[in-house]
Amino acid sequence: MKNFKLKYFVTTIWLIVFGLILAGCRIEIPKSDNLTNAPTREITDDLGRRVQIPAQIKRAVSLAPNLTEIVFSVGAGDKLVGVTSFCNYPQETQKIPKIGDTISPNIETIIALKPQIVLVSTSSQIENFTKTLDAQNIAYFVTNPQTLDDIYKSIHQIGDIVGKKEKADEIVGTLKKRVADVEARTNAADDVRVFMQFSKDSLFTIGKDSYMTDLINRAGGISVTKDVVTAYPQLSKETALALNPEAIILSDSEDNQSPNDAFKNSPAVKNNKIFKINADIISRPAPRIIDALEQIAKSLHPKSFE
Amino acid sequence: MKVPSPKSQVPGLRFGVGLLLLLAFTLFIAVLLGSEKLSFFELNEQQKAILFDIRLPRVLLGASVGASLAVAGASLQSLLRNPLAEPYLLGVSNGAALGTMLAFVFFANFEFARPVFAFLGASVATFAVYQMAKSRAGMNTERLVLSGVIVTTFLSSIIVLLTSLIDAAKLRSFTFWLLGDLSQATINGFYLTFAVAIVGTIVLSSQAKALNLMMIGERDAFDFGVEVEKVRLIIFTFAAALVGTSVAASGSVGYVGLIVPHLIRLAIGSDNRLVIPFSAISGAIFVVLADTVARVAIAPRELPVGAVTALIGAPMFIYLLRKN
Repeated sequence: MKNFKLKYFVTTIWLIVFGLILAGCRIEIPKSDNLTNAPTREITDDLGRRVQIPAQIKRAVSLAPNLTEIVFSVGAGDKLVGVTSFCNYPQETQKIPKIGDTISPNIETIIALKPQIVLVSTSSQIENFTKTLDAQNIAYFVTNPQTLDDIYKSIHQIGDIVGKKEKADEIVGTLKKRVADVEARTNAADDVRVFMQFSKDSLFTIGKDSYMTDLINRAGGISVTKDVVTAYPQLSKETALALNPEAIILSDSEDNQSPNDAFKNSPAVKNNKIFKINADIISRPAPRIIDALEQIAKSLHPKSFE
Repeated sequence: MKVPSPKSQVPGLRFGVGLLLLLAFTLFIAVLLGSEKLSFFELNEQQKAILFDIRLPRVLLGASVGASLAVAGASLQSLLRNPLAEPYLLGVSNGAALGTMLAFVFFANFEFARPVFAFLGASVATFAVYQMAKSRAGMNTERLVLSGVIVTTFLSSIIVLLTSLIDAAKLRSFTFWLLGDLSQATINGFYLTFAVAIVGTIVLSSQAKALNLMMIGERDAFDFGVEVEKVRLIIFTFAAALVGTSVAASGSVGYVGLIVPHLIRLAIGSDNRLVIPFSAISGAIFVVLADTVARVAIAPRELPVGAVTALIGAPMFIYLLRKN
């Protein structure tokens, strides 16, 4: 009797599964008409993907605060129909609908906004929803800047995507000039050995793949963790102590207001070379990163800026 | 589980001395190894700081945490008559983790609140699992494991909810700490954990005789004059205290309370008078070794120690579950 019931149960489950598979085959997912008629062009993103995008972009969604800042900087903020709850700069972002945060964006909200392109940074877990975006025929463009030059490239590419190529060239030109000025002032000075601290207790820092390693380099410093693999490693306290940094940069957040105890005898702490930088500015590879560069350079080499 | 005759006390003693020597050797090796090479015969100021301020407190805290978790596991297993009872799998560690987080959110400046809240969280979780798992027919393995799963996932979801509600930066370090992380070891954290580990091991060992009788059956134990209710309360309280202080210091290091007592029972049988103190020593050895791997494997980066213990513990859990 028990077996009989079980058999029925299993059969029913199979029927349901089979039915669902059939239904899945038959239901045609309604596709937005982004790519069907409109002319397209091809661009290559930072993952080496070739992306077909509409020639003219009118509706874009940004999944990272730095991408939102880049879009606004090239003067195409009006094309953003959705941004993340992390996007707080510039002021105008407040009026744009939110699609969740960078780590867990809401795919339904994104689709409902009918974007022609979704701008993604590798800080999103894109694998989760790229299949859905593909099925919906929504293009996505992935950025992964690891140097200052990569950030320029992101600005160029995003400018190109939203049809503001000239403006992007102009912005990058200005940024390059500011960087050149900083480099000219700090070139003669000795490199300062810098430790970048993101959280006091778990001691997250920058490794060789972070654009901040390049940034510190250009500001007349040298990151003491520049050879550690990955972009944002959690460093051993012993190694941190042995690195003996001459300056410590704190990304300014609630859990990161002072250097880790491992640094208490370092020249940085002894000479009070501890500098805080706005976390939003330092952690976003966008035009404002040059503000951070100038601030770091001035902190490390005050005499060069007198 | 067979209760060995008192004659086995002598090999037990030898086994214990052997374990203590092994612990001493393990501590020695663990202090030698690290992401920075130290030349022990001529230490400069900086190397002294690495050794005494960072490496030594971490190794000692690891030993205390390992001892606490293994003793808690061994006692809970005897009390619940189930070799799968383990603080991490029963949700006791998660209860302690939630308590620690609450203390961190509401009493951020009062560091001593964390172990206290962790203890309270662990106690509530223990009580909840026990109430859910017991039935008129007694407590079978499936019921206990399922109750543990339910309590664990329920507490996990509250933890996730908390991290989403509260400013991300404030609780960011918790994500790693939750996996079991000894990198934030301080000498003060060690003192408290060590004291609780010692007191807990002594108190729980003192209940070993009663536990031996209760392993046969609670009714039989009662007939032999064991105050079953009182023993149960003592075991639950001290297990929760051991788990609570460990979690407050290092997050949820999983599977220690499962693997260690199991191996001890394989070696010397299931007399709790031996299993509980020997679990303490072996637990210390196991976590110190696992943490040495965590510190050295990808140096100068670090792994959370909980990832290493789970890597060894999860397959072992499946093995035990199948054997049952």
